Amino acid sequence: MRQEGLLQLAASRLIGLVPTLLVLITISFFLIRLAPGGPFDAEMAAPPEIRANLEAKYHLDEPLLAQYFRYLGEVIAFDFGPSFQYKDWTVNELIARGFPISATIGGLAMLLAFFAGVLIGVFAALRQNTASDYTVMGIAMLGISIPNFVVAPLLILVLAIYGGWLPASGWDWTWQRGLLPVVTLALPAIAYIARLTRGSMIEVLHSNYIRTARAKGLPERTVILRHALKPTLLPVISYMGPATAALITGSVVVERIYSIPGLGSYFVQGALNRDYTLVMGVVVFYGMIIILFNFIVDLLYAWLNPRIRYDEGE
Amino acid sequence: MALLDVTGLEVEFETPEGTVRAVSNLDFHLEEGETLAIVGESGAGKSQMMMAIMGLLAENGRARGSALYRGADLLGMTARELNAIRGNQIAMIFQDPMTSLNPYMTIEQQMTEVIMHHRKLKRDEARAQAVEMLRAVRIPDAEERIRQYPHEYSGGMRQRVMIAMGLLCEPELLIADEPSTALDVTVQAQITQLVRELREQAGMSIILITHDLAVVADIADRVMVMYAGEVVECGSAEDIFYNPQHPYTRGLLDSVPRLDRASDQDLHAIPGNPPNLLDLPVGCNFRDRCDEAREECREPPPVWRDETGRMSRCVLPMEGGKRVDPDGTGPESRATNSASRENRE
Amino acid sequence: MRRLTACVAVLMLALTLIPLGGCSDEGLDFGVRPENRARPVELVLLENGRPDPSVLAEEQVVRRGNGEEPSTLDPHRADGVPAAHILRDLFEGLTTISSSGQIVPGAALRWNISRDARTYTFYLRRDLSWSNGEPLNASDFVYSLRRALHPDTASASAAALLPIANAREVLAGELPIEDLGVALLDDEFTLQITLTGPTPYFLGLMASPVAYPVNRRNVEAFGELFSMPGNLVSNGAFTLNEWVPRTRIVLEKNPLYREARDTLIERVFYIPVEEASAEVNRFRVGELDWTSEVPSNQFAWLQKNYPDELVISPWTGSYFLGFNLTQEPFVDNPSLRMALILAIDREIITDKVTRFGERPSYSLVPPGIDGYVPFTPEYADWTQDERNHEARRLLEQAGYSDANPLHLEIRYNTSGNHKKIALAVASMWKQVLGVSTSLVNEEYRVFLQNRQQKIVTRVFRAGWISDYNDPYSFLELFRTGHRGNDYGYSNSTFDALLDEVGTERVRARRERLMFEAERVLMTDNVIIPIYSHVSKRLVNPHLRGWQPNVLDHHPTRFMYLLRSRGALSSASPSAVDAVSQAASVEAEAPPPPEGALPSPETAGPQADEVDDEDSSERIEQENGEGGS
Repeated sequence: MRQEGLLQLAASRLIGLVPTLLVLITISFFLIRLAPGGPFDAEMAAPPEIRANLEAKYHLDEPLLAQYFRYLGEVIAFDFGPSFQYKDWTVNELIARGFPISATIGGLAMLLAFFAGVLIGVFAALRQNTASDYTVMGIAMLGISIPNFVVAPLLILVLAIYGGWLPASGWDWTWQRGLLPVVTLALPAIAYIARLTRGSMIEVLHSNYIRTARAKGLPERTVILRHALKPTLLPVISYMGPATAALITGSVVVERIYSIPGLGSYFVQGALNRDYTLVMGVVVFYGMIIILFNFIVDLLYAWLNPRIRYDEGE
Repeated sequence: MALLDVTGLEVEFETPEGTVRAVSNLDFHLEEGETLAIVGESGAGKSQMMMAIMGLLAENGRARGSALYRGADLLGMTARELNAIRGNQIAMIFQDPMTSLNPYMTIEQQMTEVIMHHRKLKRDEARAQAVEMLRAVRIPDAEERIRQYPHEYSGGMRQRVMIAMGLLCEPELLIADEPSTALDVTVQAQITQLVRELREQAGMSIILITHDLAVVADIADRVMVMYAGEVVECGSAEDIFYNPQHPYTRGLLDSVPRLDRASDQDLHAIPGNPPNLLDLPVGCNFRDRCDEAREECREPPPVWRDETGRMSRCVLPMEGGKRVDPDGTGPESRATNSASRENRE
Repeated sequence: MRRLTACVAVLMLALTLIPLGGCSDEGLDFGVRPENRARPVELVLLENGRPDPSVLAEEQVVRRGNGEEPSTLDPHRADGVPAAHILRDLFEGLTTISSSGQIVPGAALRWNISRDARTYTFYLRRDLSWSNGEPLNASDFVYSLRRALHPDTASASAAALLPIANAREVLAGELPIEDLGVALLDDEFTLQITLTGPTPYFLGLMASPVAYPVNRRNVEAFGELFSMPGNLVSNGAFTLNEWVPRTRIVLEKNPLYREARDTLIERVFYIPVEEASAEVNRFRVGELDWTSEVPSNQFAWLQKNYPDELVISPWTGSYFLGFNLTQEPFVDNPSLRMALILAIDREIITDKVTRFGERPSYSLVPPGIDGYVPFTPEYADWTQDERNHEARRLLEQAGYSDANPLHLEIRYNTSGNHKKIALAVASMWKQVLGVSTSLVNEEYRVFLQNRQQKIVTRVFRAGWISDYNDPYSFLELFRTGHRGNDYGYSNSTFDALLDEVGTERVRARRERLMFEAERVLMTDNVIIPIYSHVSKRLVNPHLRGWQPNVLDHHPTRFMYLLRSRGALSSASPSAVDAVSQAASVEAEAPPPPEGALPSPETAGPQADEVDDEDSSERIEQENGEGGS
């Protein structure tokens, strides 16, 4: 019964993915084309002959609906087409090169954020309303409110330029170049997860079943780790789905400051350049990632929370 | 020596509105093998009293006084010392079986961890004992169902699991805090019956907390009636039922349907509500709701006792009781030997 | 756990405190770590003008920050400055540029220009080869120019080739590609290009990427992937070795390049860095030898801390605001426009607002272009008070007063710099003229569309940075109906003057005509000149051989790296002694990079088959006076 429940859940989610993606593709396709200006605008307008050649090459001379259905056909074949801006690369290639980098940095940042955030949150919850609670959570609040574009240059300045311990920016798959971006990305998430964990843990500690666990004479350690931690993590897990999706698809700010060739900049660059195929490719890919991670979270949630499993399975 | 001897217990909660005194100036004792029922309306302090003794008060709660369990003061113990007793020698069953089991763990995990911890048993042995105990509380298919999660059990069955879990280590004292209140009537009776049977089998002492006098009628040896954090009357079950002295006890009895009454029309609830614990009236706490209230009730009521241990706190004299100066048993006189448990957790 | 938390707490606290202590308007000032600042040895030149091998660093590898990721390395489809920098290293056109930015012979050894300036005959060097060893001749150029203009290539930069005869028809698919005005003349090494009309900057155009040759077999074998590493065959000083998008493009020295003997740099890294401040950071830690630019808000700080590295020089660019002459209140209202031009204190803008050594400008063409002296209006010599006084008089004359106030808008694309300038201009107009101005900022593409449509714009951000060392490339933007004419300006006198400029081949006369055209334009008050651009970057003081030039084109083949002081070279001990003596004599300050390397006209090897006559012909062409 339990297995069936999980399978059903998985199947229903996967079927639900198709209309979601279709809506996403449709809306973004027409939105980006509605935006004023086109991909081939420049300081000096291109002569009409050249404009016509460019539009013909990228099928922009066809009726919009024809373009839309052409695009749908390509997307079904997982072909996002050539980038207008990065002419030597297809959007597929750009995503295939950018995503592993963004995913590595974002994934590591999320791991770091999860462990550090939960640790700090539990620590603060167990010392609720004490000086150390306030200190840690105050710092966490700062962590949320100081933006990346302030933290990152500071880290570079202190650790790379002044300290000379780390490279200033750039990317080559070494830990030295990955460390600062990972930490920068993780900081706000650490802070957020710590706050989430603290609140959740305090609530859980007030629950009747924790009282029962204590009445059973279990040591506090066991009460926290065995009885309280799992329910505490539920809101953290539901936050982590979209947050991980956001982190692994790349942060524009962090990528620019650290010169990381990830996925995040493509979205912004693509939109600014009216690089229709690139924007669309990144949006669709991003949509799939978000849906995938929400799906993973649902499964994880169901695995952690027997009641959901039961309800869905019935 | 009594199994449990509580003297001068005070429980207070610091709230944003002020200090709430949930239990004040409370004395009682429990003999081995005895069943004590503690009766009173919601908010009378029954549960908080037991929570205080078990070290389960919320963070903002403070307990003073002493609670000697076999001569050792529970209120002065370290967490480690207390944990050796909780769940092992003293088990507690809570009011709400729906939320008192951990929804994220199987029944097996929750049951075995108690004996594995206290008795240092291996998992297999612990599991065998747990299954046996589930059978004892009449869970069908215990072998199978032990693997399930609490939400797969009905409310009554969950309470049976709670009881089974409490009895796993063969405790000397079982504290049952309204074990049947949240359940429907037929299940209530089953649970009460179960508790009675288990008492007879295991020979343990029981403190049964309830607001329902009917439940205690045939299970309790002694009854203690609490009102607004104080004991107002205490005595053998027989005395309390058939010869209540305190107007509040009488009121409680009148509000319970009884077989020896003619019809429902004699049934009446006590008018009004219990007093605000933040702002207790001077004098008798029950004064405003008492149909025997008089001018003297504005003074703290006297305490009457007799040699059987019967006690009443009222201006009305207790039959065969001697008046004891309330100040003589007041909290101040015991303040010096009371232990604070503030640092326990 | 407590200890860990304490560590985290301290780190985070430190992070929060640093900006309070170390942050200033000019950026974070921690000073410069002295160990990062090795100094180069003194440059010692040999008799032939090349650097003495003893002063050279052992590893001749240069790392150039290059701004945005290049759009493509297909020279015909590439646009944008970053791609052009790389392509100039990979390819060589018929003409090319010297280290000082002058047009010099490239693949063509010499050329003839017909009297009507419509026919160019290029005589190619005979020993040229592609990087794969195949010979390169004029037919490669025929193929390449045809490819650049082929409708299927869909090149945006092909617009530059429109002066070639039939280019427009070929682009439009109206004529077959063979009808393009590009043909082999007598043999494989003579190329004739026919133009639709005189095009003064045509030789410069032939040095730009869209006119570079591509290898036909290479293109046909790999299609659009021919510009990938491993596929790309080129004819420049370097070959493409590696391309990791948005990470690095690595070029290796091409041993088959005609001047490979004099190319000292063995390997070039082009590092795309989108964020100017990230480029500065990477320069500061020694990961870059060269930045594409520097962020304008760090100027003062860099000037103080990196005086030897910060290089600023005039650039072929003008920043100005434009009037939309087709919309009220600017239609036929020169006194209003003049009032608005006069009321701006340009020195305040360059000194206090942009602060990057830009030069206040009173005309269209920036100074320093090919010896041309721009027109200077009369008011340039006035004090600002005098200008303000005149501005108020003109505004009144235009019919505006307190009773009839003027309201304007300045439209610009979203950018910190544009905003600052628009704000300054608006406040000057308010202060001097009492004109209220609203600022409208738009996303770049939206702005471009609006500016080209000439409907909603009134006063707008304009400006031009030219690829050609020729004032004409600025002036032609204001021709009637030109696609860069977002002003709606139309003046037949001006157009006629430009026509004359096109055919005039005597340099002095041509300059006079351009000056006259600029005078007409500036007297018509079409634009509000603000400043002339400067190029600004950080350069490793070890990196020499390049020269600042107005085009800001810096081929790597002229560059070389000096070794650091104290670092031993592999050269003979006597040479080292000579260097250290020179160093001790000349003390601290190294000479500026200018003049470090003589231009190739004198230093480059002369092709064997060139006779004297051809050489003189060539030099005359460079001076713009040949063929008369």
